[in-house]
Amino acid sequence: MGLRRVRWLVLAVIICSAGVVFATESTSVTTAERLVGAVGEPNNWLHHHGTYSAHHFSTLAEINRDNVSDLKVAWTFSLGGTEGGGIHPSAGLEATPLVEDGFMYAIDGWGVVTKLDVRTGRGKFVWRMDPGTDKDWAGEVACCGVNNRGVALWGELVLSHTLDGRLVATAKYSGEIAWERQIGAPESGETITVAPLIVKDMVITGVSGGEFGIRGWLEATDLNSGKRRWRRHTIAAPDEPGGDTWADDHEAYKTGGGGTWVTGSYDSELNLIYWGVGNPGPDWDRHYRPGDNLFSNSTIALDADTGEIKFHFQYTPNDPFDFDGVNEHVLVDTQYKDKPHQMMLHADRNGYLYAINRVDGSFIYATPYVQRINWTSGIDPVSGRPLDYDPEAKVQNYAGVASSRKKLKSDLICPGIMGGKNWMPMAYNPQREIVYIPVNESCNTTTTNPVDDDSKSIPREWFTAGGMHNPERFFGSLTAIDVKQGKVAMRIETEYPILSGVLATAGDLVFTATPDGDVVAYDAENLKELWRFATGSGLNAPPITYAVNGKQYIAISVGLGGTMPKWWIEAVPGLENINPSAMIFSFSL
Amino acid sequence: MINPQKHIRLRIGLLLALCMAIMAMHSHSAPNAGRGKSVYKKANCVGCHKWHGGGGGSYGGIALSLRTTPLNRDALILVVRCGRPATDMPYHYRKAYRGDNRECYGSNSASLGDATPPRAHYFLSDRDVAAVVDYVQSDIQGRGTPGYDDCVAFWGADARRCILMAQSKSKGEKK
Repeated sequence: MGLRRVRWLVLAVIICSAGVVFATESTSVTTAERLVGAVGEPNNWLHHHGTYSAHHFSTLAEINRDNVSDLKVAWTFSLGGTEGGGIHPSAGLEATPLVEDGFMYAIDGWGVVTKLDVRTGRGKFVWRMDPGTDKDWAGEVACCGVNNRGVALWGELVLSHTLDGRLVATAKYSGEIAWERQIGAPESGETITVAPLIVKDMVITGVSGGEFGIRGWLEATDLNSGKRRWRRHTIAAPDEPGGDTWADDHEAYKTGGGGTWVTGSYDSELNLIYWGVGNPGPDWDRHYRPGDNLFSNSTIALDADTGEIKFHFQYTPNDPFDFDGVNEHVLVDTQYKDKPHQMMLHADRNGYLYAINRVDGSFIYATPYVQRINWTSGIDPVSGRPLDYDPEAKVQNYAGVASSRKKLKSDLICPGIMGGKNWMPMAYNPQREIVYIPVNESCNTTTTNPVDDDSKSIPREWFTAGGMHNPERFFGSLTAIDVKQGKVAMRIETEYPILSGVLATAGDLVFTATPDGDVVAYDAENLKELWRFATGSGLNAPPITYAVNGKQYIAISVGLGGTMPKWWIEAVPGLENINPSAMIFSFSL
Repeated sequence: MINPQKHIRLRIGLLLALCMAIMAMHSHSAPNAGRGKSVYKKANCVGCHKWHGGGGGSYGGIALSLRTTPLNRDALILVVRCGRPATDMPYHYRKAYRGDNRECYGSNSASLGDATPPRAHYFLSDRDVAAVVDYVQSDIQGRGTPGYDDCVAFWGADARRCILMAQSKSKGEKK
């Protein structure tokens, strides 16, 4: 073999090797096994909630309470996508970015996915996938802003939703759309804002639209075929289990709400998916829908393979408050009263943190996590029902503060309809066995505008039967609850409600952010503030952490959207000065 | 003999007049209403009063129907500027109810107390208030049940909502 030929051979081998390395790094395969074992990959953030257990906790500890004061901006990246549509003058950014093997996947409110190469300590653009969302069509029936809470990873695909009701599968390597399918029906008031949940070879999709007369559902799509595996309605029909809890004579279940717009959790050993179901509709006329209205305001546990509801736990039956029961479920194995428990923790909008047995749905305890609750005098320690729940009544009155057909204007209701906590995820530190809850300390009032029993909701029109009012300013808190004791361990108050979710780390830190623009780190032991950075914009997205080349980063989406700036600015004065933005900020030492 | 320059000016003038006439034929809006429509969206009138102005429930308060309201122009300007006390109709005038300012209903927040209207997300200039009232009066007030033309006027002919309305109307006619 001549020298020239050897040179060419060597060159070819080098090029091919480089190609293999590049391809390997660029096309990580997200297997079902990796997703189950995500807690063992602290360098990555593979799930919307970090892990199937939704702890929002990382074992990374390079950044810790001794050095967090040195944390600084490593890189930022502008995603774009702040334009408005429908009834919304601008879009927000509620998404949790995912990180896999040095690549980040971020999504804006309109479902545009951006892949960034973060391996070099920068956010370098790789590709952008624009699904071409019909902005006016979707934005007109999106109650609470132009939102999308994140993507999911499976195989060599990125899975994402669009506000106009589609599931989109995008090739990780190229950014090309592999396939898509229409799941939600905006013509019926359905939109999709939830981040997908991957379970085995399925992707689970939830729906928004509880204020537009939808009948909610969860749907599993087969990732191999791109076709529906199962769909489970979350509002029971008359011939289904729970159907007798709709005791009306005008088929109220058909517009009974029950959105599923916050990503659920999954226990791979029990093969159960836990998902929160939203408020019944119409929100503020419960006489239209007498009965407990299952499975509204409930956690449902579904067999992952069939979608069958194995059990449920309902928080606020016949809800008169819009206490949307969608919030996330943190799966925890711990001791309570000297007995081992497989719990799921759920901080409901009604102001209580519930510990529920995740094997059979039985009640363990409920602890108030807000400072003011007046809609009920407490929770029954045995049944878990509100103490003012009347099992004989078809229409619940609770403590008498709600508005209704008989009392058109309510008293002050605490917590208010946005809840003591909304979708923003809490974090659980398994080392301390403490859950850190982002709290909206709020009260408000409602007015009922009764719906005629003979009338039906008009597709794409609001179906709330009333409105709400904010006579008081809201504030916030970060409240820590000792899970083994079921008691508040500590709390700090904040000027604004915390709308960003929480991240806990093994560095004994708790990260969150404020709607007026600051990213903050607290000491996990005593909630003492250790670090704060002003982004110059507003935040309502959860922080994450990841590592590349042994270096830890904290990342977060920056760009205020959601409900408060649009609907209730009088309760959060000052946020009207926050301009739309859509940025990723990443911090390191 | 015709002056060529005059002839060109005449042609341009006729063309402009023709254009304006065509525009007037195709629009029932007042001249200021185009700006008013963007204010209607930006200032979140669309949130509670809806795109069609019919009002009803939402996440705001229960909004009155702008299609059936008997309010005249001055009253509409007053309500947009100053809100409506004891309701959730917000005020859009920056100085309303502030300190000793009693330009709105002769009141300030001290005298109205809990009945003080909420403040809007966006404050509006007098010009914007006039524009949005022009828009309401020309495109919404007194226009009956919202139909396809209203949909096209608000969202555009390409909007899926309007296309579906047209299809639905067409099916109804065939039946």
